[in-house]
Amino acid sequence: MRLDGKGLPIVALSTLTTAGLAGRGLGRRVLESSLPLPSEIAAPAPSRPEDVRQRKLMSRAAWFSALVMRGALDEARWDEGRAEIGAFFGVGASGAEMDEVARLVAASMEDGRFSLARCGREGLDACNPLFAFQIMNNFTLCHGAILEGLAGPNAAFFSRGTGTVTALEEACAAITSGACERALVGGADTALHPVTMAELEREGFLRQGLTPAEGAAALALAAGAEAPIGYVEAVRVFTVDRPRGALVPRTGVLRDTAVPAAFDALEDQPCDVVVLAPWGTPAREALMDLPEVLEAEHAVDASLSLGESLAATPALAWALALDLLAHLDKPRALVLSAGPDGDLGAVVLGRGVWGRSSARPSVAPIDEEGA
Amino acid sequence: MGARRAVITGVGAVSAFGVGYEALANGLAAGRSAVGPIRSFDARTFPTRVAGEVPIEKTDALFLEKHRGVLLHVGEAGTWEESGLLRDRKVCFGLVAAAEAWRHARCGTAERKAALSVGLGLEQAFLEDLAEQIDGDEIRVGAGNLSGGEGVRFRSRVDITAEKIRAVVGISGRVAVHASACAAGGMAVAHAASLIERGAVDVVLCGAADSMVNPLGIGGMSRLGAPSPRAEASACRPFDRRRDGLVVGEGAAMFVVEEESRARARGAEPLAVIAGFATTQDAYRATAPRPDGSRALAAMERAVRRANLTPADIGYVNAHGTGTPLNDPAEAKAIRALFGDVPTSSIKGAVGHLMAAAGAIELAACLLAFTRDLLPGTAHFEEPDPECPIHVIGPRPLAKRVDHVLSNSFGFGGQNVSVVLGRPG
Repeated sequence: MRLDGKGLPIVALSTLTTAGLAGRGLGRRVLESSLPLPSEIAAPAPSRPEDVRQRKLMSRAAWFSALVMRGALDEARWDEGRAEIGAFFGVGASGAEMDEVARLVAASMEDGRFSLARCGREGLDACNPLFAFQIMNNFTLCHGAILEGLAGPNAAFFSRGTGTVTALEEACAAITSGACERALVGGADTALHPVTMAELEREGFLRQGLTPAEGAAALALAAGAEAPIGYVEAVRVFTVDRPRGALVPRTGVLRDTAVPAAFDALEDQPCDVVVLAPWGTPAREALMDLPEVLEAEHAVDASLSLGESLAATPALAWALALDLLAHLDKPRALVLSAGPDGDLGAVVLGRGVWGRSSARPSVAPIDEEGA
Repeated sequence: MGARRAVITGVGAVSAFGVGYEALANGLAAGRSAVGPIRSFDARTFPTRVAGEVPIEKTDALFLEKHRGVLLHVGEAGTWEESGLLRDRKVCFGLVAAAEAWRHARCGTAERKAALSVGLGLEQAFLEDLAEQIDGDEIRVGAGNLSGGEGVRFRSRVDITAEKIRAVVGISGRVAVHASACAAGGMAVAHAASLIERGAVDVVLCGAADSMVNPLGIGGMSRLGAPSPRAEASACRPFDRRRDGLVVGEGAAMFVVEEESRARARGAEPLAVIAGFATTQDAYRATAPRPDGSRALAAMERAVRRANLTPADIGYVNAHGTGTPLNDPAEAKAIRALFGDVPTSSIKGAVGHLMAAAGAIELAACLLAFTRDLLPGTAHFEEPDPECPIHVIGPRPLAKRVDHVLSNSFGFGGQNVSVVLGRPG
């Protein structure tokens, strides 16, 4: 999808990384290599009493998402008319905490074996009645929407990369079609959950250089906004051929797809900054020549600094690119994400008037609140 | 050149009535209910013991080969079975429904660039696998300490069903997996129509698959208090004064949706036009729908407007109608406010609540309005509820010709979607 004119205005952003909850500064921290290594995020304490109660029911990703939604809404100063604000997010797998599952299973054991009869009689009662809400992955979207009163058009896409890019495309489509005038878009996820780690290992991603991480990011999009911090100029999802049954394409195939995909997304316009988000070594090798092919002045590998946080990765890369455009004073960036779903996401971002935005900086620059 | 319109040219379904769309259509046309005792696992000690269960005991390679056969590579289904993938019933249901829709639409190599937009429920988790990893009160799972082999999918990829559909049907377009709880199926079909209307693609294979008829699914829903406590075939009675909860169902419905002029040019026969759609959120509570139904009303109103229709043009509303004490009055208020006395029904009493696949199976049911001039009934509806002041079609289907119908799907968490279908011209 190519957006008309300068593109669709981005008026605010919020990120949650190992450096904390922030609106700005991620790009510079990445350039300086001063971000803490990918690891479990010490999520900020809830700021409202009612959130503490809600948090108990929610997965880690849902809480992350709620934090960045709030951050983006605050920065955008969207205090009014929230019922008509759209929300489009890439979400990960279910967020079940293992202690809840363990309680259920432990109470279902009989003579050292799992007993279905005992599960029905006693096991179910051992876990939180609202455990199901922790499992439902759409709460990564809905938890924040409930807390913040976002009741407009929406969608939640399962994502290991391109689902989040699809969320951005649908947010843009919703705004350009007039379904809403404003929308939050982003992703939140954790690859550090023990079962996800087991899954990533089983699938071979860990031994191929995937660095598990967690995080979240949200952008606030608004039709016709004045003095935005940036623009979405184009957003595209590209499928990549792979052998039947293979999770990801071969490196050469990904490379052969990525180059025309990049030119296609850019529509042959120049690009000054390239932000890549490859899931691991094979994808990195496939994309590494791209900045040179595109004759980009600056290239950043977001995954080297931020790790792979699955549904959150593309959104974090967009936020990083927007910050780089401002920091480097460049007009256009291409963000190419190649997640462990095997496909490619391409987003072209334009620079706005970062720093002169009318948005209030209620979310601190990253180095004021960082680790 | 006129605006691009999305039409449905193929449908496939797996439901408690059996495998295949005709089983669903015939069951609903006969006014039957297919809810019964759970057979796929021993649920005797569980708080919920009935479900809208697909009438097969096991999903395995044999099931797939029987219903799918030709599109599978030799031995492929056996490999999937050995790896545990087919224990997740929705994988099989989704594959079979997708293949049926693809065949029904007479799609071939010219449609291979189709996109896939599918609503899927949660990854399947098997408690017995997790039990193998328990050590005291702790489950030992993590990198270097794998749990239960390939079969354990807890908190793993949700999109396995999509991946297998893409491979087996042989389509190469983009894939979108909707994770919107009970709204996912409707969202997936709405998304397909949106992609076609804006010219992003010409053909989309879309729909949804889900199964929560397993110990964790049934147990989790029971803990929430959502299912009816009655272990009876009539456990779910939408809009009835005595309603006391939902019945969990399982299955899939898939559609081929394509751009109308392209479909007609290749000789495909449209079953319905996807005339309008809209989404909203309740943004109210995790545990309850917005009691005034105002955001559901907004979704319906916008879907009708997007279809360039007025509420008076809608001849039938296929309600989300879960049969829970809170959902039905809120939805009924919204339907009454927008449509007045329009004939309304819910098929959840007949097939159960298919969760992520609910919107898809219900859109499949809506096709009866155009293919047989029948509006599906509301199984087990006997006593009207003053709290639900709408024209509820009783257990038997209503013979009536209508030109436009609207289907609602509302998800846990508050996601709402309304889709308007029109009689193909």
